[in-house]
Amino acid sequence: MKTKPNSAPAPALPSANPPRRVSQRELFWIFLKAGLAFGGGLGILAVLEEEFVTRRQAISREEFLTYYGIGRIVPSGTMTALAVAYGYRLGGFWGTVIALTAMVIPAFVITVLLTMFYAVFKTTNLLDWLNVSVLPAALAMILAAALKLGRDIFRPSPELVLGAAAFAAVYFFDLNPALVLLAGGVLGILLLRGSPAEAES
Amino acid sequence: MSLLHLIFLIFSFNLITFGNGPGMIPLLQEALVDQSGVLSIDQLLYAFAIARLTPGQANVYVASVGYFLFGIAGAVLATLVIQLPGYMMLPFMKFYERARSMAWIGRFTRGLTVASVGLIFAATLSIGLRTLTGPITWVVFAAALVMMIFLKRSQMLSLLLACLLGILLKALLPS
Repeated sequence: MKTKPNSAPAPALPSANPPRRVSQRELFWIFLKAGLAFGGGLGILAVLEEEFVTRRQAISREEFLTYYGIGRIVPSGTMTALAVAYGYRLGGFWGTVIALTAMVIPAFVITVLLTMFYAVFKTTNLLDWLNVSVLPAALAMILAAALKLGRDIFRPSPELVLGAAAFAAVYFFDLNPALVLLAGGVLGILLLRGSPAEAES
Repeated sequence: MSLLHLIFLIFSFNLITFGNGPGMIPLLQEALVDQSGVLSIDQLLYAFAIARLTPGQANVYVASVGYFLFGIAGAVLATLVIQLPGYMMLPFMKFYERARSMAWIGRFTRGLTVASVGLIFAATLSIGLRTLTGPITWVVFAAALVMMIFLKRSQMLSLLLACLLGILLKALLPS
């Protein structure tokens, strides 16, 4: 869509720095890798953070977290919503199809295979082995990604207080995540100074 | 129960639980096991166990429910239909891209992202408490974390080595 990459930022690519382009093939492989991650949605999130934010810098951390927040509010699986968001952001409509398809292939194939052999697997203790290998390792990956995503919040600041309050609201008080996010946004309007990227430019 | 009926049920259950895999279980049980009896409770529990065994999204186990009732066509359609609500992102993104230069939207999204970090940590902690259930799980978790963060080994290699360590420990240690 974008013919002159050096002209003023086009609406489809609205980040502060001109992002590195991600080809459709790369998009497919990245989402396939994400779909292979254990640990549910957070495992997928950890792979996407590593590939898009840390390694390729195709999406800023701020934008990555914004889409995550919107994805939690939309009544859809969060990772489904994120595949649509990042797929669209990096590859337009076909990007969404590629991202969704690639992400779901591993889970789909394994699920159907395990169902076909229902009678056989019902009696095995496969889960016991996963419990001591893949799942705790995936947890480490998830924690590492969470620490990276929260990097610019971990210093004495209003942000830290707001983030901690959101954590407590969901973890201890079991409040609805979508409501907590909306409340976070409203408190942001009242208390915060906008994103660091926008403060610089 | 027709295939169309099943797909409609899965679509609406997925929508009202915001795509939360475990959240759909009681609804599926009510509709497929208790009311119409087309699925046994064992099959539903097996489908749910699959959700923990498989990588990827936690709600793809509906493919298993689809497969039990209508074979591969049921599996494909069930998977397809839980992906569709993701497209509700597009109008939100369009609005965000148009409005992000406005100062108050910048502050709103800043608050949103900060709260997102809080939510990610809350989810990480609850997954952590479910995952770290014994000494071996702690060792594997710590080993993967140290290799990844402190030794800066490649993520894939760190995870693989930590997995092997866990399998080795479980095989060698008497349980």
